[in-house]
Amino acid sequence: MTDQETKPIELSLYKAHEKIYPREIKGRFQYKRKLAVLVLLGLFYILPWISWEGQQAILFDLPHRRFHIFGLTLWPQDFIFLALMLIIAAFSLFFFTALAGRLWCGFACPQTVWTEVFIWMEQLTEGNRNKRMKLDKAPWSTEKVLRKTSKQFLWITFALWTGFTFVGFFTPIKELAAHVWSWQLGPWETFWLFFYSLATYGNAGFLREQVCLYMCPYARFQSAMFDKETLIISYDGQRGEPRMRGKKRREAEAPGDCIDCTLCVQVCPTGIDIRDGLQYECIGCAACIDACDEVMEKSGMPKGLIKYTTENALNGKPTHIIRPRTLVYFTILMLLVSSFGIALLSRSSIDMNVIHDRNSFYRVVNAQTIENVYTLKVMNKGKTTTGYKLSATGLEGLEVLLGMNETEIVAEPGQLVEVPIKIRAAKAVANKKIHTIEVTVTALDETGDAASETVKYFGYNK
Amino acid sequence: MGTEPIVKNRDFNDRQIKRIFLRRMGIVLWVSFFTAAVESMVFFALFDPAYLGQLSSLAVDITRWQGYALGFVFFWAFTFSAALFAGVVMALPRTRLAKRNPHS
Repeated sequence: MTDQETKPIELSLYKAHEKIYPREIKGRFQYKRKLAVLVLLGLFYILPWISWEGQQAILFDLPHRRFHIFGLTLWPQDFIFLALMLIIAAFSLFFFTALAGRLWCGFACPQTVWTEVFIWMEQLTEGNRNKRMKLDKAPWSTEKVLRKTSKQFLWITFALWTGFTFVGFFTPIKELAAHVWSWQLGPWETFWLFFYSLATYGNAGFLREQVCLYMCPYARFQSAMFDKETLIISYDGQRGEPRMRGKKRREAEAPGDCIDCTLCVQVCPTGIDIRDGLQYECIGCAACIDACDEVMEKSGMPKGLIKYTTENALNGKPTHIIRPRTLVYFTILMLLVSSFGIALLSRSSIDMNVIHDRNSFYRVVNAQTIENVYTLKVMNKGKTTTGYKLSATGLEGLEVLLGMNETEIVAEPGQLVEVPIKIRAAKAVANKKIHTIEVTVTALDETGDAASETVKYFGYNK
Repeated sequence: MGTEPIVKNRDFNDRQIKRIFLRRMGIVLWVSFFTAAVESMVFFALFDPAYLGQLSSLAVDITRWQGYALGFVFFWAFTFSAALFAGVVMALPRTRLAKRNPHS
């Protein structure tokens, strides 16, 4: 190794990764984190098993190009909803980051949540922090083999179950379970099951904080949403310094409140020292707060040497929750949410499109009547096979006829029906060059949904 | 700093150079995978792979699953080459230019 010869910055960028052994800790924030893990993973593992109106409640049915979400069926034509939802998610992230820092990272990110569970399994099999460090340094023994194998067994089982559940969101999970049981998985199911299992195992078992440090795009730009009034986890240096412990502390005249026990460093899942100030590596898990509060309580000093606070509060200035940044994010978020809600409520079960025939403007039917020919496309976005009726308004006495072979328009769920239609009008009425008319498609079922489109109508011109 | 020329035995040892290479490859793979995944999602939300198969000049008959997979592989191939290109040009050539602009 020639590490001493290289410059310090290069050292930190390129040195081999050192394994972090986070120390287990209890406290009010860790309680909340565990709750978040339970709720989020509970939802993930249980949701695909829930049925709704006779079919899987949440199923992203890619082979049939439709998404079932609790009785709502979304088709590719509803892509706008997915896009809107992603934009809403992004703005919620901005809003909450501006308000309370990396809440997402510390409590809700799948990376954090699964890592928590994997660390928990590691503790279960290999013991606490000191035992784990000792075990890794110790030579191979029966106990080490046993402990390591049982950890791997738990990890692999859990990862496989996760992969299975993941695939269960895309293919009916009960059928999938039957396929797994009888060892008859299709090639895609097999691939995705193992791929996602491997991803879970690798990300939560081995990469852990490195995903947050090196791979996550959000971690790189989250600081852009920060300002001096954003909640951050911070060490109160004025109160804590000069930190000292043991004999030195007993003999000192005015020691700081920090007893330099380094527990805050030991519990950190990303291995940083929060006393060095706000750092990019901090995912806001608040483990150091819980650790320090416990120590402060034991030493008879007030809690909150490390706490959720803002830069302004640390400098003795007032903190505002309502400020231009949060207001702007909140307003945009609310606009998006309400437009999403309105769009979803007014979503029609019909998608339609009318195109005028390219070959002729109009055809003369008889001495009094002309007709325009169009191609009508109707897509059934509902859940049942439905018939449709047509009507046209905008000119007096318009008559809509179906093309030659069709007698009715019927579409199965998700089906796109294409039919030629003729719209007839009296020469006396359609006598200008171009009129505008509105074609309406109405569903012949109990919903009575309708959709309409304006098209050009070429009048009699001789 | 990362764009300084890498000269073996002067700035880094063999192990570090290997790590730099692996790290760059890792970034290229990860970034291209991520963007390819997003691209496939958007693309296939708008276009049905089964329909595209019929339209293409090859007139191959593919199922939707094959279409999705093929599309993703194509996207990944493109994004991978783009990211690889970026990864290669990120490092300045090992010339005097790099010495004059150590931070560019």
